[in-house]
Amino acid sequence: MRRAFDPIALTCASLLVLLLVLLPALGLSGALPIYGVNLLGQILCFALLAMSVDLMWGGAGVLSLGHGLFFAFGGYLCAMHLLRTAYAATHTLPDFLQFMGASGFPRWWGFADSALLTLLAVLLLPALLAFLFGYVSFRSRVNGVYFSIITQALTYSAMLLMFRNDTGFGGNNGMTGFHAVAGLPAGSLRAAVLLATLSAATVLLVLIGGRLVLASRFGRLLAAIRDDEPRLRFLGYDTLWLKLAAWCASAALAAVAGMLYVPQVGIINPGLLDPSVSLEVAVWVAIGGRGGLCGAILGAALINVLQFWLASAAPTLWPFVLSLLVLLVVLVLPNGLLDLRNRSRAWMDELAQPLPARLRGRSAR
Amino acid sequence: MRRTGATSTGLPVLGLPMLGLPVLGLPVLGLPVLCLLVLGLLVLGPLTCAGAHAASPPRAAILASLCGEGTRAVLGGLGETLAATPDESASEARWAQRVLQAFSGHALQCAPGDQAFLSDGDRTLDAVTLQPARAPDDSHAPLPSLRARVALAQTQAALALVAARDPAERLAAARTLADHAGGLPPGLPAAALAREHDPRVAAALRVLVAEAGLHAPQVGLRLAAIAALRQDASSATAQRLAALRADTAYVRDPRIATALDRALAHVRFWLRVGDGLALLYNGVSAGSVLFMSAVGLAIIFGLMGVINLAQGEFIMLGAYVTYCVQEALRLVAPAWLDWYPLLAIPVVFTVTGAAGMVIERVVICHLYRRPLMTLLATWAISLLLTNLVRVIFGTQNLRFQTPWYLTGGVRVVGDFLITTNHLFAIAFAVAAFVASLALLRLTPLGLFIRATTQNRGMAGCVGIATRRIDMAAFGFGAGLAGLAGLALSPIYNVNPTMGTGFIIDSFMVVVLGGVGSLLGTALAALGIGLVDVGIEPFYGAVAAKVIALLLIIVLIQWRPQGLIAARGRR
Repeated sequence: MRRAFDPIALTCASLLVLLLVLLPALGLSGALPIYGVNLLGQILCFALLAMSVDLMWGGAGVLSLGHGLFFAFGGYLCAMHLLRTAYAATHTLPDFLQFMGASGFPRWWGFADSALLTLLAVLLLPALLAFLFGYVSFRSRVNGVYFSIITQALTYSAMLLMFRNDTGFGGNNGMTGFHAVAGLPAGSLRAAVLLATLSAATVLLVLIGGRLVLASRFGRLLAAIRDDEPRLRFLGYDTLWLKLAAWCASAALAAVAGMLYVPQVGIINPGLLDPSVSLEVAVWVAIGGRGGLCGAILGAALINVLQFWLASAAPTLWPFVLSLLVLLVVLVLPNGLLDLRNRSRAWMDELAQPLPARLRGRSAR
Repeated sequence: MRRTGATSTGLPVLGLPMLGLPVLGLPVLGLPVLCLLVLGLLVLGPLTCAGAHAASPPRAAILASLCGEGTRAVLGGLGETLAATPDESASEARWAQRVLQAFSGHALQCAPGDQAFLSDGDRTLDAVTLQPARAPDDSHAPLPSLRARVALAQTQAALALVAARDPAERLAAARTLADHAGGLPPGLPAAALAREHDPRVAAALRVLVAEAGLHAPQVGLRLAAIAALRQDASSATAQRLAALRADTAYVRDPRIATALDRALAHVRFWLRVGDGLALLYNGVSAGSVLFMSAVGLAIIFGLMGVINLAQGEFIMLGAYVTYCVQEALRLVAPAWLDWYPLLAIPVVFTVTGAAGMVIERVVICHLYRRPLMTLLATWAISLLLTNLVRVIFGTQNLRFQTPWYLTGGVRVVGDFLITTNHLFAIAFAVAAFVASLALLRLTPLGLFIRATTQNRGMAGCVGIATRRIDMAAFGFGAGLAGLAGLALSPIYNVNPTMGTGFIIDSFMVVVLGGVGSLLGTALAALGIGLVDVGIEPFYGAVAAKVIALLLIIVLIQWRPQGLIAARGRR
């Protein structure tokens, strides 16, 4: 990426700024129902998650099909904090701990009392997990589809693990029953507006920061890895650490998205770890367009709005629409919807030629 | 040899005192005693050869006690009469079967004056002669009590043992008797064993004989029974022996205690051997399923560097095509219905293979330079296929007819059972392995596939139509996945989402085995299957999956190319 801010990125950023201003105004005045605020906040979290995938895929050409793992990791950490605060207020243990016959929280949950420590954990622990996994994978030069499927397998085993009740995180029921979010009662309008605004601010921040990073020297090296990793290695760069840095940052970003997502939906369960969830995130990025982070936001927003709309209008139709959309984008618009402008120009040029020339051109290809 | 000996000497000895003892000496409980009486009659009947055919006295007596009149006296006088009654064709047993069936079904009518009638549909029969008759108006139908029903079931089973012509019926009767062994006349199983020709029924009867012998008063008989019991090394036997060993009254004699200890050690040893073999068998069976689902993936990945995320859906498709074949046969040729798994083989292979080729032509062949995009595209295809099937067939599990040759199994050692449906899957996987190997090694197509896998550019240079090879290989891989679905249909739940679980496991197999190596895939599938099954009983299925994944990640560290690497420049 040559320039940090092209017209599309500028449009995207200004739309986000507008959202940042309008959200509190519309939300608190009651013009936007609490449900709408909540939905918007969730979509912004998904956009954040899509950006974290795009950072790796568009930036370094490494497709992760397991970012749901880091998303859920952040979500679980956040839920632990929320449960601890709920316990401090109500003095009743969460259901899943009562079912397990525990008389109190496990001792090591103590760190979750502090919001600051939880935030630190969200930023560090998923990144640490990503580091361990990334180190062994990148070191043995696992890449391409190989890497993608192994990330998927990792998420899958995490899902199996979390579905068990004796893992200690609520099993298949997950964690719920949050009492308050940042001092505001959970489920209240003000909490929803706060969380949605926070999500919008994070998306804006990550968009600006991410674009700057991708346009920097580091970002160019990542692009070089994407285009020809062996050559970069021949030139003397240790691509292992470059990829690892991007990979860990991407994981931390996904965890932050999960942390913001969980209080907005009020529950977390292992369903988020289903490989198909992570795959869908990659689909958002592919449909929106890779590489610039704007496509990720566009794809996440578009697909989720479409899904939300069709889920009530024609629920059986949704999988067909989604799969056909994916096939269409993959076959016709290799770089997603943001590619539409360039592509349509090429098609127009082709159409402008007289028919015999077009046929000749086709047979020559 | 031994059997003839028992017939001539042992039986009358066992049978005669038995008749006298309970009937005359013990406090009588009506029906149970009657049952013993009937049993005695049947045991002795075929063996005592003298005397004329005199059916009416015992028949009338049995009916009288069933009707509950003067139970003790009638039964008491009956013993000797019964003992003298010959019955060579088991016709008395069949008659008793019929009467008891009517009695338990509340269809035996008793009238004053020791008369009894059977209601048979809308007819009424005289219970003694089984001729049509009219029951008096003041007749009543007695209802067997709950307690009596247990004895009734026992007696009916004993009757079936004597009278049933079908070995399966006799086997079921022997099993029923084994469940209600208490109070069984000790002579009965031995007598039935002497007459038995079917080996399976005979084996079941030998257990019964041993069981009866365990409670014989003589130590020698008990020791013999223990020795007979230990031949059948099952967990039920182990439990039985352990219970006896714990019974202090029973093991008062040191000889019995040592015999029990030895028998327990013997049975437990063979149980352990059986468990080990069962683990191996289940591992091989799981491995063969893994192999079937992974082999197509391995060929396609080796050839084109493409992971087909829709592989699991081809498996699902194969199972659904199998179902369609079954339903078509049900409509067109019901006589052939049992052979649908074999008849479906070519259909499934053709249909799923064609589906794979179409998908390759329409979607995948445009994406060879963008392998990551093929992941998304094949995922979209899997979503599409799953939902198409869901819309057409619904979400419920399909009901498959299990043909006779895929039911049951053979018990080998201990509790280890070779089940035929798993054997089918294993045989299928072996056949698929051999067929794929033959295709890759012996046919021109296989040669081209191998050449293209090793060096696509060079293969193209020497004139191989690599794109067409891709299509054929993709179709072949899809067809194999479809056959996996066919092999799975007797074992797994077949529904539209059954394919989703396969892709990750299959990919693990491919990674472990090495890309493009059939032998590696087979070894890896067996290995993962065994590890999965081996870890599962100790740490659970989840831990097995996680450990398998971690092992594979570790393995990639020192052997990134898999266990057996395909040769070639990549």
